[in-house]
Amino acid sequence: MKILIQLGLIFGVCILGDLISSVLPFAFPGSVVSMLLMLFLLLSRLMKESAIEESTNFFLKNMTFFFIPFGVEILRYATLIRSVWWQLLVVNVVSLFVCFAASSWTVVLVSKLQGLWRRRRNA
Amino acid sequence: MLEVLDTPLFGLTLSIAAFWVGLWVNKKIKHPLANPMIIAMSLVVLTLLIFDIPLDLYAKGASIITLFLAPVTAVLAVTIYRQRALLKSSLLPVLLGTLAGSVASLFSIKWTSGLLGLDQVVLASLMSKSVTTPIAIAITEQFGGIPALTVASTVISGTLGNLLAPLLAKMFFISDPIAHGVGIGSCSHALGTSKALEIGEVEGAMSSIAISLSGIFTVLLAPLFFL
Repeated sequence: MKILIQLGLIFGVCILGDLISSVLPFAFPGSVVSMLLMLFLLLSRLMKESAIEESTNFFLKNMTFFFIPFGVEILRYATLIRSVWWQLLVVNVVSLFVCFAASSWTVVLVSKLQGLWRRRRNA
Repeated sequence: MLEVLDTPLFGLTLSIAAFWVGLWVNKKIKHPLANPMIIAMSLVVLTLLIFDIPLDLYAKGASIITLFLAPVTAVLAVTIYRQRALLKSSLLPVLLGTLAGSVASLFSIKWTSGLLGLDQVVLASLMSKSVTTPIAIAITEQFGGIPALTVASTVISGTLGNLLAPLLAKMFFISDPIAHGVGIGSCSHALGTSKALEIGEVEGAMSSIAISLSGIFTVLLAPLFFL
């Protein structure tokens, strides 16, 4: 019963997230609204982590299982993928390098600026 | 014979069995290329092809599995919640770092795709490929892309990120563990994060925070790149 209640809570948050997503004036995926809603519930202590803990761990541990059907769907697009496979690879490699450089350098830069600012304030 | 398989239970059972084999192989061969999900996908595809089973029969069970995509995304919130103390201690660098990573990722994908002459549908399927798969699929569906292509790309990004994580830090002169972790998580989600966890505790924690944050930023920013 404990697990059923946990699943019920998680599913309930998802339905609420979909509901919010449907009334938003702009397009925003319901699942991501549910995630933000869940974060809000946890941070505001309206929901305790222990109330969903076991089910959450199950989903997080087996997360990639739920993506298998999407991978299998590749069968439907075999010809498309065969025609663009090397472009896909190039896009992936280029953006990996660009994304890594941008995010890690920004962290270094912001940390340095923060340090400078703190030192100046203390001086 | 096929009538017996005409039940959602067939797709479910086949997926679970394939995933179980994938996990077993992964345990034997500890290498990022022996990814349990990739092994499971290949096994399902092979089974369908060898026994000449229509994809639509498998899809009946598959639709039950994909029903769980929303709950899987929702519980990602718990991963941010668990890291809240660490996130608070370096909030600004991490927020701006993941934001910069998301912008750079979207920008470079759009730019290289245009250069290589990929069409709108393929572009829509690729835009979100740096972020965690459930969010990436949601973005792809929003812009009329092909989720299968997105999953393939997130797997490529994640695996590359996992393999190249130590090299990337050297290439871009990154010695700060926070910066390294944010970089890995922003561009190669959970698959990269498993490597970040091996590199160090701070790298791993930062990488896991970056997964969800860059997902949120990408959801917010992706519409700007489709105008």
